[in-house]
Order: sequence, then structure tokens, then C-alpha cells
Amino acid sequence: MAKILFINPVVREEDVPRHIPYGIALLAAIAMKKGHLVQVYDANAHRLPIETIIEVCQADDWDAVCIGGLTTTYNYIKKACKLIKESAPNAQLIAGGGFLTSMPHEIFEWIPEIDVGCIGESFETFPEVLAKIDNKDFNYADVLGVIHRDLTGKSFLTNVRPNIKDLDTLPWPAWELFPLDIYFANSANLFSEESFTSKRRMDINGSFGCGLTCKYCWHLGTTGDMLVEENEHGDNDVVFTYGRNIRYHSADYIVSMVKHLHDKYDIDFAAFIDENLMTMDVASKGTWLKDLCNKWIEAGLQPTCRQKGIPHDENCKGVHWNGTSHAGLHRPETLKLMFEAGCTHLVYGLESFDPTVLRNLGKGSNARKNKQSIATCLASGIKPIPNIIIGFPEESFESVRNTIEALVELGITAKPHFATAYPGSEWYYAYKDSIMEQYDNDLEAYIMDLGDASKITATISHEFSPMQLLGLQQIVYLKDLRLLDLSEKHWAPVQHELSPMIQPKLSFNLKTVKEAGPLAS
Amino acid sequence: MSDLLKGNFTTKKQVSAPSETANEDSLETKFKKAALNSIGGSMVYVERTDLTWDGEE
Repeated sequence: MAKILFINPVVREEDVPRHIPYGIALLAAIAMKKGHLVQVYDANAHRLPIETIIEVCQADDWDAVCIGGLTTTYNYIKKACKLIKESAPNAQLIAGGGFLTSMPHEIFEWIPEIDVGCIGESFETFPEVLAKIDNKDFNYADVLGVIHRDLTGKSFLTNVRPNIKDLDTLPWPAWELFPLDIYFANSANLFSEESFTSKRRMDINGSFGCGLTCKYCWHLGTTGDMLVEENEHGDNDVVFTYGRNIRYHSADYIVSMVKHLHDKYDIDFAAFIDENLMTMDVASKGTWLKDLCNKWIEAGLQPTCRQKGIPHDENCKGVHWNGTSHAGLHRPETLKLMFEAGCTHLVYGLESFDPTVLRNLGKGSNARKNKQSIATCLASGIKPIPNIIIGFPEESFESVRNTIEALVELGITAKPHFATAYPGSEWYYAYKDSIMEQYDNDLEAYIMDLGDASKITATISHEFSPMQLLGLQQIVYLKDLRLLDLSEKHWAPVQHELSPMIQPKLSFNLKTVKEAGPLAS
Repeated sequence: MSDLLKGNFTTKKQVSAPSETANEDSLETKFKKAALNSIGGSMVYVERTDLTWDGEE
């Protein structure tokens, strides 16, 4: 059996560690189930100097060192891979996660230390790679869903790995391999009174997929959105589509997992990290969330404040929870049941209240539904958490005005995110050339600059410069229509003289058709 | 001292986290973080180490 070291990279360094890495915890559980010897170094939880990796890599004779995460972990991963290869030269360095799947060939060029990478969903791919390493067979050409190198370092992508059909076949994540006390200490957040008083929060994932095609979003093969095809050079490369394989865990799987977490770790809060609970509910014809809520209550997980209809306080027992919603897909009767079962807040990606922006976004909502959603959600007792974005390609003074007027009407104060083209999203492929122009043609510099969209990186607004967007963000935050009118008046005489900041283009890596990747039988 | 590695076997070498105090931010660092988080209006922060002016007019 192979000796495997997982390293969880540092993410969002400006904040405390809040999320046990669900994917790594799941892969660690799968590896242990296959009989491998597994250790985890959670760099994100410990926040020690990066050189600690040297000591960790020298702690044993590793057969494989595994690292991965979202694009926002790229900076750490790049430095870490150098140290890993220097201090554990005999170990195969395996990478995975969104940072790699979104741009496999570029990552393999930028990080030459990586030996093999898992592309897309890794539940089957990863154990196959481990089995090969265990047999000292380092030719990965016959494993589906990987990127590997030849002796010259050139990268090759194998054909796409089908998504697994039944998510319930997955083991529970290996939470016990992570420093839970560090995460528990950062349980509280400011989204609701219940989450504010949480002492032991853990993330759970109930589904993979989302039926929507928002242009800023990325799924990276986990939702049936990915194909592998030959590009113009005859090399396999990833192609992302509007195709979907919608999959969700059964209510029994989720509830028994939460019950276990409550019994074993005394959790008081479960945060669903699903892309969108409501799209899953729609896919189940409205049965999934109802079933989940009923079973949550039956299992004794319903918080006492909801059971007795009393205000929440610190003596409340049970497990509160939260998730993501959609303005056009939520149903009042489902929301009511969710509230009863302990749901405290739902994140709504409203993004904008401008008809043109919303029509082009691929989200399947409009300004009316967005406005209604706040009242509908509030009426159920659940707190809506609306996300707002500024700097859309079509953003204009008029679209900003529409958003501010709606925020005033709804009593929402928000400091918007900036529209950001993350690798894997439709925006990224459409505006890649414009993005590179803004970074002196250094794509890696852009990737290293990406954060959580609270700062400007590359702009994708056709009309506005970074300076204007920063000002507009503040004006939206202040909901100051007078300042917006003054700005527009000042700018109007020259606006039509300017050439667009950016230009969209077609890309090999994006097919705007409903062609889904394969699903295992 | 806690083990930095968690797993299903015992590694050849133990890797322990440095003691809490060694890992704790200095007062200067804590102050800098707090100050930078409240920048605005008359709240400004001056780096003690990044002065590039050499006195020349």
C-alpha cells in the first residue's frame, strides 16, 4: 500500500481558516478505504511558514504527495510544489482541484514539479493513480481524467473521466484527519443570529451540479459540464459546455452524516456548500428539500428554538443550517419547511437589478423575481443574503442606477463584488485576450492576482475603467443616486468617444451547447 | 505542542507545531493588522521600514 501525504494549501490568507477542505477530506477517506497509509498536513488551518512543508515532507518516505484547491490557492501551491519536490524527490507529486482543471496545460507549464494531475471529478481517477504508484508504474497514459508528462516534460491530457452515477456510494469525508478545533474556533459568522452564536460549525455537501449557466460561474467537470477534445494543435484539452449531469445525495445520506457529526463532534451548525440547493430541488421536482427537512426533524436534528417556536439563544440544542438559493426557483412552502427544520439563512446571487445585465447573465432570473425573492425569503423566517456584483460587461450608469434604486427599495446595504473572470467561467474564455492585455500578456500574473472578487483584477466591463468601477462600487455602497447622476453628467460628453475597454471572442475551451460529459452507467 | 500531521499510521518522524507563543503575532504585527483594517479618514498607517525618501529635495 502507498504512503500518501495530503497538503491543504492556504486560502484567503486575509481571513482566518473557516472551511475544512471537503474535496481533500473525501479523497483522503477514499484512499484509506483502498487500504493506503494516509497523512494530512493542513497548512490552511495551521498558517505556519511555508518552509514547514520541508519538515512535513521529510517525516516519512512518501510514495505520493497530493496538493490541490481552487484557483485562489495557486500562489501557495506553486511555492509549495517547489519545496515538495526538493524535500521529497522520490514521491510522485499529484495535483488536483479547480486550479488545475480550469487550465491544465498552463499549470503544467508553470509548475514543472507536478508529475500527474487529476482533471475534473477525481473520485475514481485518484484511487486509480494511487494504485499505479503503489505498483511503481508511473505511466498514466491509460488512466482516464489525468494530465501527465512525457520525458521531455510535455503535457498530455487523457480522455474525460465519466462522472460517478450514485453519489451515495461515496464515503463520508475523513474529518478526523483535520485540526477541527482550529476550524471550530472560527465557526461564528455574521449572516444570522444562529450562525453568529455557532460554536461548532462544519461544512457538508449534498449535491454536485447546477442547472444554470451563469457566465461568471465554473463547475470544472463536477457537473457534467466538461469534455476533452483535440485542439488546433492536435492536443487534448478541456472544453466546458452547458451540459449537465445533475446529481444529489439522498436525504438519508445527508441526514445520517449530519447526525454522525452531531453525535461525534457535537456540531451546532451545518453549512451546505452546494452550488445551489434550489436547482437540485427543481431537478427532483420539488421533493429533495422537503424529504431532507422531514428527515432532519425525524432524526432529532431540529433546533429547539424552531421546535418550540421561541427566539434562538445560546442554550439552543440541535443543528441549524444554511445554503444557497435562487430568486426564480424557491417555493414559499419549501422555504417554510426549511425554516422549521433549522435553516437560518440562504445566499441569493441576485447580482444586479438591471434587465439587460440579468438577461445576458444566464441565471434565469429578472429584476422582478430578484425583488420578490427578498420578501418571500423573509416571510419564511429565513434571512436572505443577497450577493451583488458590479462591473458586468454591459454595466452602464443606467444599470448601476437600476441596482441602487432596488437596493434602496429593499433596504439592502451591499458593497458589491467586482465582476471577475475566473478560469473555467464563460467570461474567462470570452475575455481571455483582454485580460492578458491588462497583465502585459502574463496570464500567470493574473492567476496569481485573483482573490475573492472583492478587489479589482482584470476588468471585463466594456464601458468602465478600474477607476470608475472603484467609484461606482462606493456609490452603490452609499446608495447615493445624486453622486451617480453627477458622475454620469460629467462623463457623458466623452463616453461615446472612447473605445471599449475589452472585446469578447470565441474560444476553443468553451462550447455554449447543452452537450454533457459522460456519466458512468 | 501538537502534531502537525494527522493520519491512519505513525510516521517515522513526528512533526510538531511550534508552541503557541512562538507562533503568536508580535504586538507590532497585531497593531499593524488592526490599524490597516481601520484605514479611513484620519486613521492612517505609516510603515516604519519602508521609508524611501533620502532627504534630497
